[in-house]
Amino acid sequence: MTWMSILVAIVLAFNRWVIYYFGLLNGVYLLLFLVSFFEVMRFVRRTFFSDYEQILKSEMTWPISIIVPAFNEARTIVETVRSLLAVNYGQFEVVVVNDGSTDSTLERLVETFELKRTDRIYRRTLPTGPVRGIYASLDHPSLIVVDKEWSGKAGALNTGINVSRYPLFCSVDADSIIEENALLRVVKPFMEHPQEMVAAGGIVRIVNGCEVREGRVVRIGLPRKSLPVFQVVEYLRAFLGGRIGWSSLRSLLIISGAFGLYRKSDVIAVGGYDGSSETEDLELVLKLHEHLRRSGRKYRIVFVPDPVCWTEVPSTFRVLARQRNRWHRGLLQSLWRHKRMMLNPDHGVIGMLALPYFLLFETLGPFVEILGYVMVALSYFLGLLNVDFFVLFMILAVFFGVFLSVAAVLLEEISFRRYPGWEHLALLVLAGVLENFGYRQVLALFKVKAFYDFLRRRKAWGRMEREGFRAAPERPGAA
Amino acid sequence: MRAIMIQIVTVVGALLAGLTLAIVINKARREMSEAIDRRRRALLEPAVFEYLGAASSKPLSGYLPKRLSRRDRRLVEEILLAAARIVKGDTRDRITAALEGHGSVQGAIRSLRSRRRFKRADSAEDLGLMRSREAVEPLVALMNDPEPEVRIRAARALGIIRGTTSIRPLVRALADPSRWSAIRVAEILINVGAEAVDELLAAYETLPRHARISALDVLGRIRSLRAIGLMKRCLEDPDPDLRARAAHGLGLIGDSGTAPDLIKALADREWPVRAMAAKALGRIGNPAAIPSLREAMKDRQWWVRANSGEALRGLGQAGREALIDIPFARHMAVSQLEEGRIIEQSVSDLTSADPERRAAAIRFIDRVTASARVDERTRQAAEATQESVRRALGDVLKTPGPGDRGRP
Repeated sequence: MTWMSILVAIVLAFNRWVIYYFGLLNGVYLLLFLVSFFEVMRFVRRTFFSDYEQILKSEMTWPISIIVPAFNEARTIVETVRSLLAVNYGQFEVVVVNDGSTDSTLERLVETFELKRTDRIYRRTLPTGPVRGIYASLDHPSLIVVDKEWSGKAGALNTGINVSRYPLFCSVDADSIIEENALLRVVKPFMEHPQEMVAAGGIVRIVNGCEVREGRVVRIGLPRKSLPVFQVVEYLRAFLGGRIGWSSLRSLLIISGAFGLYRKSDVIAVGGYDGSSETEDLELVLKLHEHLRRSGRKYRIVFVPDPVCWTEVPSTFRVLARQRNRWHRGLLQSLWRHKRMMLNPDHGVIGMLALPYFLLFETLGPFVEILGYVMVALSYFLGLLNVDFFVLFMILAVFFGVFLSVAAVLLEEISFRRYPGWEHLALLVLAGVLENFGYRQVLALFKVKAFYDFLRRRKAWGRMEREGFRAAPERPGAA
Repeated sequence: MRAIMIQIVTVVGALLAGLTLAIVINKARREMSEAIDRRRRALLEPAVFEYLGAASSKPLSGYLPKRLSRRDRRLVEEILLAAARIVKGDTRDRITAALEGHGSVQGAIRSLRSRRRFKRADSAEDLGLMRSREAVEPLVALMNDPEPEVRIRAARALGIIRGTTSIRPLVRALADPSRWSAIRVAEILINVGAEAVDELLAAYETLPRHARISALDVLGRIRSLRAIGLMKRCLEDPDPDLRARAAHGLGLIGDSGTAPDLIKALADREWPVRAMAAKALGRIGNPAAIPSLREAMKDRQWWVRANSGEALRGLGQAGREALIDIPFARHMAVSQLEEGRIIEQSVSDLTSADPERRAAAIRFIDRVTASARVDERTRQAAEATQESVRRALGDVLKTPGPGDRGRP
């Protein structure tokens, strides 16, 4: 047996294996989409306006502490806090945690909301970094600002949990805007299943291209640059096509850090957010699953598709690379930490389906994709490439990719219809096609690089460079 | 293999094309339908509003075009239901009459028998807005629907229609196994108000435990004096949740005469009862509770201390005095004074033209600083814009407070 024949055998075996992998991957995606489709339809039909009216008026509605960790967010923090103070909800407080910002985040807050230092007493239930001061406002009694030394996002969130007063807390990123009725919508599962509910996440949509006035998205639009548009489609696919499906299978693993509602006592029971994790949101949800499964308690962690949180996404490849690198390292870290849950029947669908899915497709997928391109070149040089078959396979791969994106657009169109114009629809479908030629491959490369960094235990905070919200033009006649 | 591949690509391609076409057709159809709706609505709305504003007994049909399509009938119903959410009084009655005459009530009652649960729920919701008495009986029957979502819509509708026939099944629905349904039924009964009290009192003993808790809550929030006797009895119930709920309810009713019972409940063996009793005493505002609340500041449970502190804060000057002099839970006490902006008020009184007020403010701050929580006062002293405030606070902070006297 020659080296050449071994190489040929490896290439052929890989090619065969890739076909099975491809079939399985797209089969799972298709299944998830179908589950999501029925779930979205069910959700839309069972949404009654009067429910939200009742939640708003009821004294029995859970009060919520909105926790906003902020590090160097001087640019957007005032608008974010304004939008939070104006949410349509009965009893709530906004706890902004200034995590050792080196810019004027605290000063802007103090100045805008006329904050005064106060001796507020709180329980240090979760260990956190030193708190320098707590500020309150006479004009906005529901606003609390905690100034603390830097300890990272997880530490800031834990401080917020300590200082917060209410049994539920909602984590909101300082660069995000939650819609007026978002809390009413995300709290509904807690009202319906008060004993079981532990956490709920809402949909994150992209604010690039939208117009914002006084902390509210007043005109929805699509970004002008192609990179954020690709991310719009990607987010639609991930939330409407993925998370809804996982949620209905009772195995939701991710609640976006930008917007999630949690039962405080359960989060405290698992030790709060983990400062050593790259993606504290994913790690928290996994810790909750593991803890609750082990305790044998009946619980729910769900995704609710219509409370919307608007957030800014990277508009350059450099920033996107950093962001995705951190996300992927965080995923790998959490999968490693919770490896005992993997293929463990005690952990039900999560152990037997969700975690293997993340390992097999989210972690290995990029390698298979990149290796696939290498193998195609190798097959060509070895004379093994059946060009006809290869072309057909590529067409099929693109078709499937486009299919999933278009399916997500369809779900959006028949349910929430946030992008109202024909031009939006055309652009989304076009982006769904074009993202298959370059964007997805680049993402795969980012993930491979992240795996390498994970193995080398290299850490880098995927710092987001913000452009700030696009302000809406002043109303005609406004001074 | 190639042939199979071509077939698969064709199928996926066709699916993709179909999906894209579905999006386009769906959007086009919806937009077209909305455009027609808008046009027809512009025609029908003025006629409906003319009917609603008129004083004559002419039925709605007299105001509408002679021939109405199915779309028009649906739009008329939608306009009336939208108006029903806003208007009250005679106009509201005219809406009910119009919907009865229009056949909408009968149509919605028929839909209550639909096999689709969402259709049943939708119809029940609409019948509530229609407020037709014709719907009471079918809605009462719907309270036995296997779907909680449908039952709650029926309950809501009955709550809007009111009348004894409607209230009785609502009280029974407090026992619904779904907690969310029970909460919503409770809200409905609260909105019904005093009319629901007799039914609740009569049914109380027959209700299961979780429904009794809801009933006590409803009675408290209706603030019915007729419920006081039941609440007092429940303070002696072996179930601590019922005792806590009764204490809470008495606080909501706010009758000063119940203070002795609540003071007794402050010594309950279960902390949720003690916490609720403290909160209730704060709500009632009877100064006789001050010594007991002061004692409750020693409680091992944080919530009891917090509620007692809050109650004392709300009990006027005497309550605040008690908070300052408390030798235990001082941080909690000072925090209460601070959250109630009482300390801040005293600081601003330092510049008062009234010498007595100034002296009282100095005495007050002097005693607060004795709690050793002087950081904030020091900052206030440094940052105060008025020289007199800075000087007065500075003097207080320099001299040891009454609690510090005798310390090394």
